[in-house]
Amino acid sequence: MSQSRSVRRAARRRSRRAEIEADRRGRAGAPGARPGSTLAALTSSALAFSGIAGSAAADAPTDRYSSDYSFSYYKEDSLPSSKVAPGSPTSRYEIETHQFQMTAPIFDRMDMNVNVLYESMSGATPWFVEEGADGKPVQVMSGATVSEKRTDAKLSTSYYFDRAKLTGSSGFSIENDYASFGGGLAAETHFNEKRTTLGGALGFSIDYLDPTDSNSEYPTRPNSADKQSVSVMASLSQILARGTAIQSSATYQYQTGYLSDPYKLVSVEGANVADSRPDERNQFTWLTRLRHRVEAMNASVHLDYRFYTDDWKLTSHTAELAWYQTFFTNFRLIPSLRYYSQSQADFYDTWFDIAPADGYASSDYRLSPYGAISWRIQAEYGMQGWPGTMDWVLSFAWERYLSDGDFALGKVSVENPGLVNWNLFSVRFSASF
Amino acid sequence: MRRTTAWICVLACALAFASGCAEVKPWERETLARRDMAWDPDPLASQFRSHIHWSKEGSLPGGEAGGGGCGCN
Repeated sequence: MSQSRSVRRAARRRSRRAEIEADRRGRAGAPGARPGSTLAALTSSALAFSGIAGSAAADAPTDRYSSDYSFSYYKEDSLPSSKVAPGSPTSRYEIETHQFQMTAPIFDRMDMNVNVLYESMSGATPWFVEEGADGKPVQVMSGATVSEKRTDAKLSTSYYFDRAKLTGSSGFSIENDYASFGGGLAAETHFNEKRTTLGGALGFSIDYLDPTDSNSEYPTRPNSADKQSVSVMASLSQILARGTAIQSSATYQYQTGYLSDPYKLVSVEGANVADSRPDERNQFTWLTRLRHRVEAMNASVHLDYRFYTDDWKLTSHTAELAWYQTFFTNFRLIPSLRYYSQSQADFYDTWFDIAPADGYASSDYRLSPYGAISWRIQAEYGMQGWPGTMDWVLSFAWERYLSDGDFALGKVSVENPGLVNWNLFSVRFSASF
Repeated sequence: MRRTTAWICVLACALAFASGCAEVKPWERETLARRDMAWDPDPLASQFRSHIHWSKEGSLPGGEAGGGGCGCN
């Protein structure tokens, strides 16, 4: 490369970084500018990283390296003995998960993100539902304890134009009996002095199933199966005021292929047969998010609402409220509440006294009508400019999830005995340098 | 009932977008640049929670396209 070309490239890089800093921090002297003294560095907030304005400014690649590591422990409650068939295990799933993510600038107008997940899963899972001694449904759990490892990796690269951003991504998820390969393309552009951002995305996934023990011991399990999905998303974001912004997105996904659960059975006319679902599914989701700053309390509030519906006749509503309370500049407490309610799929029942005409039947609790309430508390501490030029955040979180037929918006006459309650503990360390 | 719910959501969003669209200049956006004002302040946590909800509930997360599946049971 000639010296004049390298000099011009370095000048463009310096100019681009100046534009990014001005765009994110506002004019000179605005909060968040890097402090000069060590004391100021130790007391300034590392919690005030890039927010909506940073993400709404689609033409600004990252200029720092950042990485995140998280460890999570997920544990499902054991089922009460009243909901389990005699002799069936009551304990359920537990999962230990490691996540790692890194974002880095790679060229003047490009940055990349690598995301890797590794998890170990073990425990018993719901197998089928049968009638208990009192006539109420009870869950039969799988006798064998599942023990699996899953690796998930995703790479995405973004190119920034003057008023737009294009992102390409690809990834895979591999475990003992399942492999998924997918990719996508996303674009966003902003206008109206960057107060409005329009986004769109296309994605696809090809999944291969290789169920374990699909032999004479479990003849209902296919030796192998596959499914494919394509999805499209459109979003619109708008800055409403100095401390308020709203985003709304609509997503459509089409799935085809083997969509049943190979490890589940359903009772039809007194005999346990394979879980059988349609080989197509059209799904639609509408997600709206509001972010609002409550300056008087040094806090921010997040409100999300999601509406979902599909052609299996399952409809759901989700609402989540989170309060981000900052204390003493470096410490933040984030309590949140989530409410979820879903109706049932039209081929769902606890058991079938008469075989359905179309042959579709499932007693999977995930297709049953129920509601769920969860609460979460997250505490984080962060520092900026220490040590050296590093900004970092250490975070701890606990979430408790409870599901019940009585929590649903509609009346649930018979609750599925396999509804799940769980705890999730996680710790995360994030740094940028 | 589902169609009525959907139209109520459309109307609420339209009203939210149409109302209070104040002119906020780029140099007035330091508040919006805060991490606690981001659509997703904790991407790893939201990615994992979204995966759990997708595995244990019957709905699609939304807000993105693509992404593979898993044998999560």
